[in-house]
Parts: sequence; structure tokens; C-alpha cells
Amino acid sequence: MTELYRLRSVTKKYGTNVAVDIGALTIDSGRLYTLAGSNGAGKSTLLGILAFLTPPTTGEILYAGERIDWKSDIVRGLRRKVTLLHQSPYLFGGTVFRNVAYGLSARGIAGEDALRAVDRALETVGLEGFRERDARELSGGEAQRVAMARALAPAPEVLLLDEPLANIDRETAGLLEAVIASLPSRGTTVVMTTHDPDPPARHSGGSIVLDHGKVAPPRDSLPA
Amino acid sequence: MDFLVSSFAAALHLIGSFSPDVVDAARTSLAVSAGATVFAALFGVPVGLAVGLSGSRWKGFAVTALNTLMAVPTVVVGLFVYGFLSRQGPLGALGLLFTPTAIVIGGTLLASPIVANYTLASVRGADPRILPTALTLGAGRFRAVVTLVGEIRFGVFAAVIAGFGRVVAEVGVAMMLGGNIRGYTRTMTTAIALETSKGEFSFGMALGIVLMTVALIVNLFLSLLQRR
Repeated sequence: MTELYRLRSVTKKYGTNVAVDIGALTIDSGRLYTLAGSNGAGKSTLLGILAFLTPPTTGEILYAGERIDWKSDIVRGLRRKVTLLHQSPYLFGGTVFRNVAYGLSARGIAGEDALRAVDRALETVGLEGFRERDARELSGGEAQRVAMARALAPAPEVLLLDEPLANIDRETAGLLEAVIASLPSRGTTVVMTTHDPDPPARHSGGSIVLDHGKVAPPRDSLPA
Repeated sequence: MDFLVSSFAAALHLIGSFSPDVVDAARTSLAVSAGATVFAALFGVPVGLAVGLSGSRWKGFAVTALNTLMAVPTVVVGLFVYGFLSRQGPLGALGLLFTPTAIVIGGTLLASPIVANYTLASVRGADPRILPTALTLGAGRFRAVVTLVGEIRFGVFAAVIAGFGRVVAEVGVAMMLGGNIRGYTRTMTTAIALETSKGEFSFGMALGIVLMTVALIVNLFLSLLQRR
């Protein structure tokens, strides 16, 4: 395991409201982390920062040992290594193929290579044969799976998931959970938010708990 | 009442017989309006996008300015451009006054704020997840904005069509900058004003019917787009 993210004294403020205030946090590559906390704890803000979409107000972030300069073009390159999947993902108008191929196209992957990658991603989420379907006519569960396929297709180094199992049927949740659990073995680092402060043992990679924007100490380090 | 009925019948006859004067005015109107709309779209859509996506503290001022420009009377636009294109004006040497090009310039200034404002409204109404989704999937800022435009394309089309509707129906700019020259810069609106003042009511009515038909088609198309 190598260190992928290192956050030092990172804060994010919206006006006078401090959304996150993290003294120190490291995330290793190839592991699955759960990011727990109640509503308003700062989970989504932290995911935005880790996705290089939301610049922090203060502090320093290192990715793979490199300090991030938020004003440089490097951030755009880093966004291609990290994909954030929202709780209620937006699907672009058009076909499922257009959606799943979007990230590939942004990386210059087209033609047969894109076709193969799209088919592979759709197969992973159990949507073989959905390539030409209209994305706007899918059910909620199918849309969630297409969004997951779209996130997986470019094979990002890091997949950030904002409550990926919320608001979907049990069958889809089970399927997506299995897909997510398999990602670390393929070298993908996963950070997944949850409301559950005691995530199940199957998510055993690591746990980050946020409380009012701050990283809470691990449960086993608290005095009895 | 007989006067109106007989004028209406004469107007229909003029339209049905493809009266050269009616056809000329309609053709000039559509040509200059289309030209002005193209330029207004090229200018107004990017401005609407830039204002809509801006996080600048000047955004409120820009929105107010666009709203104000939308309300500027056509004759004021005509006056402004006339000042530039007249012989004593800074662009007088180009000899553009009383040409279709002058009407296109005025129409562009008239339609651009409308196109920009409608585009801005579309951006404001767009799903806020579009840009972050495009960016997190690896798109650069420009590509993400292109994706956004694709997602709100019906709103942008509506903006352009509204701009066309404004230009094709106005009279001040066409009169002041075109000069209402028969077969050259005479548009449907200027022809209606002139012919009616000459007592050629049926001719004015014929052009009025054509103009209303164009406006109806444009608005039907606009409604269709807004429903999507």
C-alpha cells in the first residue's frame, strides 16, 4: 500500500460556516474506505475536495506525493484520475453509450476501444444490451448502474462514492456493493460515504468518521 | 366594415398572386433578420453563458445591464448606429448607411441582449449537476461548458428564435438604417408603415398577414422548444 492522499490542515469555509476542518488525513491506494458521519458532517464537501472539484479554503493536499496547486492545469489532469459519483447522479441526454463513453471521450479514447470499454463497464453492472437505450428512460436503479458504469469505464485510480447505495432497490444495492467491494483488488482506491458510523466488516479497508467537519478519532482509540 | 373585408380580400389576392413588392419586402425582411439573428447568436449565446456561469461579484450588474439593453427602444438603437454609419460618423467612410448591412448591424444590436438574456435564463435553470459531472468525468472547462450547452440546447434555440422574432417585427432600425428603399432595403414592417400612410391599406394588410404568419410560425416553434 502506498500513500495516495495526504491532507494537512485542510479547511473549507462557506461564508462563516466551516464545512470541513481536517488536521491530518492520509488515504492509501488500493483500499476501500468508508466515510461516515451524520448529515452536515462535511462528507460531501470532503469528497468534492478529494475529487479536485472543490478547492479548500486553507491547507495543503498531496496526491501521490505531489503538492496540489489548485490554480494550475495539473488539477485538470488529476480529475482524470479521480471520479466522483453523486448520490443522485445526472445522466446526460442521449443514449447509455453516450453517457458511459463520456469519460473515455474526454481522455481521447474513441472507436473500438471505447466500444469495448463501454461494453465491459456495462457488463460489470449487469446492463449488457443497454448500450443504445435512451438514458432518460431508465428506471432509478438502472440509472444508478449506468452512472456507476460511466464512472468505472475510464478505470480511474480513485472512485469517490456519495451514498451509492441509498435510494435504490435491494437487488441493485447488492449488485453495486459487490462491484464496489471488488474494486480494491483491481487497484482502485474507493472512498464511500455512509451514514452508518459502524460500517459492516465487509468494508474493512478503513474508516473515516467526520463529526462537524473534523475527523473523529477511531472508535477503538476512545476510552472505554 | 366593408372597407376591412374588401381590403382583406385584396390582401389575400396580393399574397396569392405573389405580388413582386410583397415578395421583395418579405425576402428582404427574412434575409436581414436571419443575418442579424446569426450574429446575435454568435455574440449573445457566449455572453449569456459567461454571465450565467460567472461567479464574479459583477454578475448582478451584468444581469441588470442585459435587462436594460433588452428594453432599449428600436429607434434608439437605430439612432445610435445611425450616428456611427452616417457620413459624418466614425464609420461613415464605409458607406453602409441605407444598406441591408446597416439593418443587420442594428438588428444584431437589438437581438443580442435578448439572446443573451434567454441563454442566461437557460443556464440558471439548468441542472446544477451537469458541470460537476462533466468535470469529474475528466472534461476540461471548455468541454464541460459545451456539454452544458448540449443539455440546455432547446433553451438556447429558443433564445435564438426569440432574437429573430424581435428583429423581424421591428420597424425603427429598418426605417432609420435601411431608408426603406424599394426592392433593396424595404422590409415588411417599413413597407406596411409607408404603404398605409399612402392609403394602400390592402397592400399593408397583405404584408401584415405575411408578417403575422412568420411571427406565428416562430412562436409555435418557440413553444414547441420550451415544452421539451
